[in-house]
Amino acid sequence: MNHPKHNPLLNRLRKGRVMFLLLIFVIVSGWCYVDSSIETGPYNLVYPTNFGNRVNIPADNPTTKQGVYLGRMLFYETKLSSNNKLSCSSCHQQDKAFTDGRAFSPGVDGILTPRNSMSLVNLLWARKFFWDGRASGLEEQAMTPLTSPHEMGQSLTTSAQKLTQATNYPTLFKLVYGDEKITGDRIVKAISQFERTLISANSRYDQYLRGAYQPTPDELKGMELFNTMPHPEKGIRGANCSHCHGGPKTYMELFHNNGLDSLPKDSGMEILTRLPADRGRFKVPTLRNIAFTAPYMHDGRFKTLEEVVDHYSEHIEQSASLSSFLQGESNEPGGKSLKLLPVEKKQLIAFLNMLTDSAFITNPAFSDPHLLSTKNKKH
Amino acid sequence: MKKQFLIACMVLLSFTTIPFISQAQTIKISGEVSTPLTVDAAYLQKFTQTTVVRKDRDGKDHTYSGVILSEILKGAGVTLGPELKGENLTKYLLVEASDGYQVIFALAELDKSFTDRAIILADKVDGAPLATADGPYRIIVQDEKKPARCIKQVTAMQVHFVK
Repeated sequence: MNHPKHNPLLNRLRKGRVMFLLLIFVIVSGWCYVDSSIETGPYNLVYPTNFGNRVNIPADNPTTKQGVYLGRMLFYETKLSSNNKLSCSSCHQQDKAFTDGRAFSPGVDGILTPRNSMSLVNLLWARKFFWDGRASGLEEQAMTPLTSPHEMGQSLTTSAQKLTQATNYPTLFKLVYGDEKITGDRIVKAISQFERTLISANSRYDQYLRGAYQPTPDELKGMELFNTMPHPEKGIRGANCSHCHGGPKTYMELFHNNGLDSLPKDSGMEILTRLPADRGRFKVPTLRNIAFTAPYMHDGRFKTLEEVVDHYSEHIEQSASLSSFLQGESNEPGGKSLKLLPVEKKQLIAFLNMLTDSAFITNPAFSDPHLLSTKNKKH
Repeated sequence: MKKQFLIACMVLLSFTTIPFISQAQTIKISGEVSTPLTVDAAYLQKFTQTTVVRKDRDGKDHTYSGVILSEILKGAGVTLGPELKGENLTKYLLVEASDGYQVIFALAELDKSFTDRAIILADKVDGAPLATADGPYRIIVQDEKKPARCIKQVTAMQVHFVK
């Protein structure tokens, strides 16, 4: 018997066939890789019931998986800046809860922004953006840092041209929008889709609200102070932070003059409205991940949470436009600021630390996708 | 492009420290109205002035004066009075303040044929204009236990159907 396995010619032919099939497999899978690795279809935005459904998604920019994928690429894309060095993530770094740790941030020309970089979290529920609330949607908001000469400094037309010349983007835009055309409008829409997925809902406070965490005595006392309006006449002590930072999201979309200055250098919303009542009025930001977003306030004047609490406790500056709920709110009869005890300040800060969501700041879905592909290439 | 230009102007403005001319607060009335209105102090003077007494945070009674809210809304052609029936009963008034705070009232809560409780747009307290941080306009709801809907610094009112 002439066994085939002893036939060297047949063996070589067989090996060749296997190699050929393997090669075909590699080519085909490589060819399909770009498309098949990106999931498509509607993006399911998951959040707890107590966050409510008053979400802000424009009808002309529904959230899709492929849109979020592209938006994440663009959020971390330095080609969107005139010197190819800055991306959205330069001022919104995930490990700092999407802030940059600076009071003001340098743009492409080295000039500092006039206001502190805001944290990006639970934007799905926001309706007014910037410290003065001047943008009514994420899409409108995103245009400013992209095009401002002192931020990323590049027109959307130039950005679209640069991305058109890049190898991967036309295919991605086709996947998201149906054709390869890259426009400024499509860029900001995709970035906004990604930003809407930045949901933080797993801090110890969230866990406590769903009955999965037992706070420490300091955290509990801090929470009580946070949620209580002081009534010195009735012997009730409080810090009443929840008046503006209340609810499960610790964000209520309010704009207030919180007594930083009696004559503010930056007059805030008054610049837009020309109303004296809006002097020194700024957005009340979310407190989510507040331990990671120093320095604080629109001008980053406070370096620590201790300084912030001290401000409300001792240093409220009086003026006609000081928000009314801060006028005469105190734990001392006739007091002009909260006048908290040292132990109460410590308890409040213990509660503020409960708002840290470590899963959010380390979530791989929010990280730099370019960094991942560079790492893969190195291997 | 126009939008970008506007944004660029706003950015430029934010760097300037040129003193600008202050304006007076007005209230925009829009939504399900036949005549959108911009209410100012002179417009309010055309109406009968009503007073409502309410306790304030200081625990003392204060006399607020202003105009019955439904009268202002009638001027904008809101479906009140005989027209407030059927599907019009699913309309509400959204009141917004300059700090972003919002509250709503069902139209029936504002209508005289439904209730005697007065809800006014006040511009004075104890005979004096409201303080900067409260005014110039504040809603005062007669006899409502909590002050939460006595919204201060009113800037806009919109009438909508429940979706």
